[in-house]
Order: sequence, then structure tokens, then C-alpha cells
Amino acid sequence: MLKTIIRKEILNNLLSYKFSIITILSTILILVSIFVMYGDYCLALDNHDILRVESGDRVEIIPPTPLGIFAKGLDENLCRSWELQGVGVEISSERQKSLNNLFKLFTAPDLLYVIKVILSLCAMLFAFDIICGEKETGTLRQTISNTVKRPILIIGKWLGGFTSFILPFFMAVLLGTIFVTLSPMVDMNAQDWAKLGLFLLSGVIYLAAFFSLGLLISCLTHRSSTSLVISLFVWAMLVFLIPNLGNILARQFVEIPTVQQLELKRQQIRRRVYVEMKRIPKTQPDFEKRQMTLELRAIAEGDKLDEDYRNRINSLVKVSQSITGFSPAPAFTLLATDIMGTGVAEERRLKKAAQGYKDLLVQLYTDENWDEESEPPDFHYQRSSVKEILGQGGLSNCLILILFNLLFFTGAYVAFLRYDVR
Amino acid sequence: MLKTIIAKEFLSNIIDLRFIVGFVLCIIVTIACIMILAHDYKQEMKDYNARINLEDEILDNYAPAALDRLLGMVSTQEPPERFRPLIIGIQGNENVGSFDDNPLPILFPPLDFLFIVTIIMSLLAMLFSHDAIAGERQNGTLRLVISNSISRTTILFGKFIGGIASLIIPFILALLAGVLYISVNPAIQWDGSAWTELALLTAASITFITLFYLLGLMVSTFSRYSSTSILNCLFLWVLLILVIPNVCTYISAQLCRIPSIKETERKQDEIKYPALKVARKHMKEAAKRFKLRYGGLFSEFESMEFGGIGTWFFLDREAASTHQKAAQQRAEEDPEFKVMMDAFRQEFEMAMKEFRRTLKEAGFDKLGRDLGRKSVVQTNLAKNLACISPFANFVYIARDLTGTGLRSLDYFEQTKDEYGDQFQSYAEEKISDARKKNPALDKEYYLDVSDRPRFAFKEEPLKGKLGEVLPYWGILVLFNVVFFVSAFAGFMRYDVR
Repeated sequence: MLKTIIRKEILNNLLSYKFSIITILSTILILVSIFVMYGDYCLALDNHDILRVESGDRVEIIPPTPLGIFAKGLDENLCRSWELQGVGVEISSERQKSLNNLFKLFTAPDLLYVIKVILSLCAMLFAFDIICGEKETGTLRQTISNTVKRPILIIGKWLGGFTSFILPFFMAVLLGTIFVTLSPMVDMNAQDWAKLGLFLLSGVIYLAAFFSLGLLISCLTHRSSTSLVISLFVWAMLVFLIPNLGNILARQFVEIPTVQQLELKRQQIRRRVYVEMKRIPKTQPDFEKRQMTLELRAIAEGDKLDEDYRNRINSLVKVSQSITGFSPAPAFTLLATDIMGTGVAEERRLKKAAQGYKDLLVQLYTDENWDEESEPPDFHYQRSSVKEILGQGGLSNCLILILFNLLFFTGAYVAFLRYDVR
Repeated sequence: MLKTIIAKEFLSNIIDLRFIVGFVLCIIVTIACIMILAHDYKQEMKDYNARINLEDEILDNYAPAALDRLLGMVSTQEPPERFRPLIIGIQGNENVGSFDDNPLPILFPPLDFLFIVTIIMSLLAMLFSHDAIAGERQNGTLRLVISNSISRTTILFGKFIGGIASLIIPFILALLAGVLYISVNPAIQWDGSAWTELALLTAASITFITLFYLLGLMVSTFSRYSSTSILNCLFLWVLLILVIPNVCTYISAQLCRIPSIKETERKQDEIKYPALKVARKHMKEAAKRFKLRYGGLFSEFESMEFGGIGTWFFLDREAASTHQKAAQQRAEEDPEFKVMMDAFRQEFEMAMKEFRRTLKEAGFDKLGRDLGRKSVVQTNLAKNLACISPFANFVYIARDLTGTGLRSLDYFEQTKDEYGDQFQSYAEEKISDARKKNPALDKEYYLDVSDRPRFAFKEEPLKGKLGEVLPYWGILVLFNVVFFVSAFAGFMRYDVR
């Protein structure tokens, strides 16, 4: 019987106007998104090649990841060139960003955005009338009057409905991925493929949560028009309101200075130490040693400043995550960007690596046995592996998504068991 | 009869679930948003004051008597935008150069008044109007209404006015509550121009909301069922709000590629350095010839760094200035020294002429101009492409009117440059005065700059902002007219059975 219900649900959806319009919309969007973001990746790659050959200076830069095509996240921030200073790590040129300021006004239309915002809406539109719509047309009463059990019916409807929704999504993503992988500019290794697979899997779990939510609302209402209104408002709340409000609300709890203030504090340290260094008479026998002590003190003060700032940022992210825990959208954003190596965890890791590299260089320069003529070691950075991502908090975000699924589906199941089909 | 239809439409809307949910959402979100942002504004002000104090402290204690270093220490601090309790401004270039910054706004764009209007109100407007015609046809009430002596024009106007009224009222009420909070908040001081800007912003918001109501009405007059109508409406909404504006910027970046500034600088360096090498070689040869001709006199001239001739170009500008004064004094005393100095200057000018000619022929300036021109072309292309979407038009209007957009960034840069010039004149005068008092003034000497001019940012006058936003407002009005005319045409031919 389950098979019959699934088949009926799939066929019913395939023939509906809703299916046609949503399939067309999602296919166009996914393909446009992948093509547009592929172009953006090529530009980022060009930019990286130009910045990498910076002559004379000791400038570090990591290449953009091809996975940024699917989830850009913080990749633009991660791929800026930076150099080590006595006090702090500085971005070597602010001119490496685009001159087109319009990028600041609008969001990157990557696959992550399409899944998070548009496909979640489509999932709810697929599910909002599964139960109440059938009740309105009278078919639900007829189905229930047969020997079909309610649990079988709701599971069949979920499976059939979700399958018919997710198949066009996979087709479009497959087409886009084939285009990207055939391109000579994109070089994806086995790790990248595993990450892309995980990203798509997390996308499916996220969309399943919204589908289940739509089903839950459908089981709680008796008219499809009411269900639609509630679904749209719940979607707006979960996708836009809670994540975006959570971000500004978190700032009320964690006081964080602006980067301009941080830079001024660094400047203050630099100036003070410079003055103190100038005061040391050059004729003194321990002149160089005293200068070095002052320099090291400035570096230590700068590091303390950076550490305090980064700790505050970490607390801000934590508070924001706690506030936005009521919605699957932030968990999915953090999980997806972390998986693709363009997220908060990766940024934190890169900063830590830069700090470690700085400490190493300071240690080398202060080492009496260090030959000043020899070249210091190069900075090497490898983005997180799948295992690391899951350890860094990816698993908890994944669990949150699964929990939402269970919650919404159980809610729908219970509501349907008590549903008045008349 | 028009009044009756308006009243009926208004009443049927306000007892509907859509109105209740929309009203509650609008009130709660607007007030919560304004309260949080007002608190955020207070924190931003605190941070701004801390930055001003820090800068003062640095300048008061460590202002060197070296012009370039002194100018490098002055960083004009931008105060938080006065509309910050309503709209969060976009980041200026200051943050771009920082390795440490808050990543959250990139992943989760903050919630503000713009979000409320563009997402919540537009969605609500379409929910209100998608079944205004198709829904009534399905219920059979449209047939009954039409069978009376009411013209279709009156029905459409009535539905439009009644529907819009039921939509705008909760919006205005929510905004009023928020504005009341702003006006009683002692941390926020708005003057007359700010209130005028708020009134204009409200008017632009109403134009935007009306547009989406009319779009829903238009779709409704072309649909037979409300279920089809809502799907079409949502399809259009997704395209106009979530897709077109975001995609257009990226498409324009690929259609009209511009090299990065770094790349242009590198190309310019590739032209400049070889030309500079030639100029240096020319001067070295000239120095050899002069040494043979003038002997000891030229050695003396050489010890004065050639009286600063050309050394500002090759060496330090300030050192050059000191040597220039010394050489000038020597030339006044000895006519032969003067002849030699003038001849050497001529040699230098020849070398410079050749240097400039090489730069011009290789297109040194053209590279910079091309970059600027291409960036303007790309930005304009993106802006014009995005104008297909009412969302982009409204964002330009709202941001430019309230000083939270791209125009305000340019305006800030302009005022910053003006202040930079003012400070440079002050610093030059200050260093010159200090030199007069103490001719042996060292670069490491710290100046007292407590009487320096302070940077005070003033908002751009409304007239300039209006000039910028009116074309976009015109496009919004045009969208309104097109959708209303289409809805009218659709309804005139609508089969009410």
C-alpha cells in the first residue's frame, strides 16, 4: 500500500501546475547560480594569481577554493593577501577587492543561497496542501475510509512528495556540476568531491526539514489558503527574521570594538614603542638587545589585542548561534560553509595559522643561531579536511538539522493521527 | 458606490487571517528592530568616541615634524549614520584592509527597515492581492457584483484603494511606534532634514508596497484560480526580490571585466621603473661631466645633494627641501655656483622631459584612467541591469536618501579629502613655523598639534540626494502605472463566470 501511495503522490505532483512552475524556477536558478558563480571563481583565481606574484614584499595569500562556486561564504575574506607586521597581521593591499561597490548591496547568488532561501520556499509550497488540500477536495476522506492506516498514508505522502520535489533539484545540480568539472579552470580533488557530496546531503536534510514543516502546517490547518499564509510567514521567520535578527541581537550581548578602533590601538602601540626605541642612546653597548626587547614587547601587546578581539568574535558567533538555534537556516549556513571550507571555522583556522607563522618567524629572528642571510620558511596552508570539519562543530550543526526534521515530522505525524478528515 | 467597495474590501481584509498575522508580524518586527538598532547605534557612537579619543591621544603625543609621517597618522573617523536606528549602512573601505573583522554580517545580512519593506511588506502585499479577482470569481461573488450596475473600473479602483489601505495602515502604525521610540531616545538627535528624509523614505516605501499589491492584482486578473495566482505571484516575487538584483551585479562583473587596482599598479610600475632607470643614468652621466668641468665646486654641490634638484624625485622630499635652501643661499653668494646650478637644473629638466615622454608613450596615465572608466562602466551596467527589479530601485532610493548607501560612501570620501587638504595646509604651516623657530629641527621632534583642525562630518544636503534618487523613484512609479494598466486591461476582459 505504501508503494501505491508514494506512486500516486509522485504522479499527482508531476501533473500539477505547481510542479511545473517550481521545477522550472529551481532548475533555472540552480544553473544560473552555478554559471554566475563559476565566472566569479575565475575572476577570484585571476586576482589570486596577480597578488601571488607580488615582488619584493613578503606577502601571503591562499587560493580560492572551487567549492566557493557552490557556497561562497567568507572565501573573499579568506583569499585576501596579508603580510606580517610587528604589531598585528595586516592586509597588504585594500585595493585587491572589486571596485564595484554594488557587491556590498546584494547577496552572492550561490547554490547555498538558492537552497537556503528559494528551495526552502519551494519545499513548503510543495507540502502546504498535502493534507488540507486533499481534505478540501474530499479525497482524503475516501482514502481513509479504505484499509489504509494513517501512519502509512502520511509516510507515503512524505516520501512521494519529497521525492518529486528533490529529483528536479538533483538533476539541475548534476548538470551544473558536470559543467563545472569539465571546465579547465576547476581542479577538484577527492576531498573536494567528498565535501560537495556532504554539502548536497546537508542541503537535502535542510530541505526535508522545510518539507516536514510544510506537512506539519498542512496537518494543523483545514483550508489550504490558511495553510499557505501560515507557511509563508513561518518561512519568512525561519529563513530571514531569526538568522538576521539573531546577528544584530548577539551584538547587544557581546561588546565588540570596530576594526578601526583595533587598528588605532595597534598604531598607538607602534608609536609608543618607536618613541621608546628612539630614546635609547645608540652608543650604549646593549643598544640592539634593548631595541629587540622593546620590539618583542610591542609584538606581545599586539598579539594580546588580537587575541582579545578574536575571543570576542568567537563569543559573538556562539551567542548568535544560540539565539538563532530556533531556525534550521543558520545551522545550515554554518554547516554548509564549514563543509566547503568557506565558513567561520575556516576563517578562525586561517587566522590561527597566520598567528602561528608569525610566532615562528619571531622565534627565528630572535634566535641567536639564526643566519640572517637565509630565507625563512614559507607559509603553507591546507583547508580543513572532512574529518576536521565534522570535529570543528559541523557535526553539531548537522545534528540540529536532523533534530528539526524529527521534530517537524513527528509533529506532522501526531497531528495527522488526530486530524479530522471530514 | 466606490466608497462601498473600498469599505467592503477593507473590512474583508482586516477580518482575514492574513491581516492579523501580517499586522502582528509588522508591529513586532518593526518595533523590535528599531529598539535593537537604536541600542546598536548607541554602542556605535561609543565606539566612535573611543576612536576619536584614541586618535587625539596618538596625535597629541606622537605627532612628528615630518610631513609625510604626520599626514599618514591622520585617519578621519566616520561617525555612525544618523539613520542607523532604521537602516544599517554598508561598510566603507576602511574595514576591507583589516585581517580581523566580524564575519557574521557576510553570512547573515542584518535585519533593518529595508528588510521589513522589501521582504515582509512586499510578500504581504502579494498575499493580500493575489486573490482579489480570481478568489472572488471562485467564490461566485464577483459574478453577483458585476450583475449590478457597477462599472468594472469602479470595482478595480475600489479593490485597489481598499486593499492598499488595509496594507498600509499596519505599516504606518508600526513605523509610527518605532519613530516615537526614536524621538524619545536621548541618544538619537534628529534635525529637520532627518525628519524630511524619513517622510520621503515612508513615501518611497508606500510606492514600493503599492507596486507589489498591483503586481498581485494584475496576476489575479490573468488567473482563473487563486491557487494558480499565488504560485505565479510567488514565482515573480522570487525573481524580482531574490534573484535579479543579486545575479545582475555578478553578470555585469563578467560582461564588463575590469582589472584589479593592483594589476594596474603593477603594469604602471613596469612602465615607470625602466623609464626612471634611464633618467637616473642620464643624471649620473651629467654629474660625471659636471665634476670634470667644475671640480671642487661641484663636489660641494654634490654634498648638498645637488641642492635638492631632482632629489625629491629620487630621495626624500623633506631632505631635498633642506638642501635646496642651503644651495640657494650658496648660489646667491657665488655667481659661478649659480651658473653651475642652473646648468645642472637644465640637465635635470631634460631628463624629466624624456621620462614624462616615455610614460606618455607607454600609456602610463591611460592605464589609470581606463581603470576608473571601466569601473564606472561596470558599476553603471550593474545598476542599470538591476533596475529591472523594483527591489534594486527601492534599495537605491532608501539608502541614498538616508545616507546609508554607495552615494554616502563617495560623499564621505569627498569630505575626507577636503579635510585632508585642510590638515595638510595646517601641517605644512606648523612644520614651517617650527623650523623657523628651530632651524636644526629634527624629524623625530614631536609637534604640538592641539590646535589642529578637527574632522566634523556633515550630512549631504537633501537636494543632492533627491537628484540622485528621483530617476529610480520614477522607475518605481512607472512600474506602478504599468501594473495598474495591465490589471485594468486584464479585468476588462475577465470572464467572471
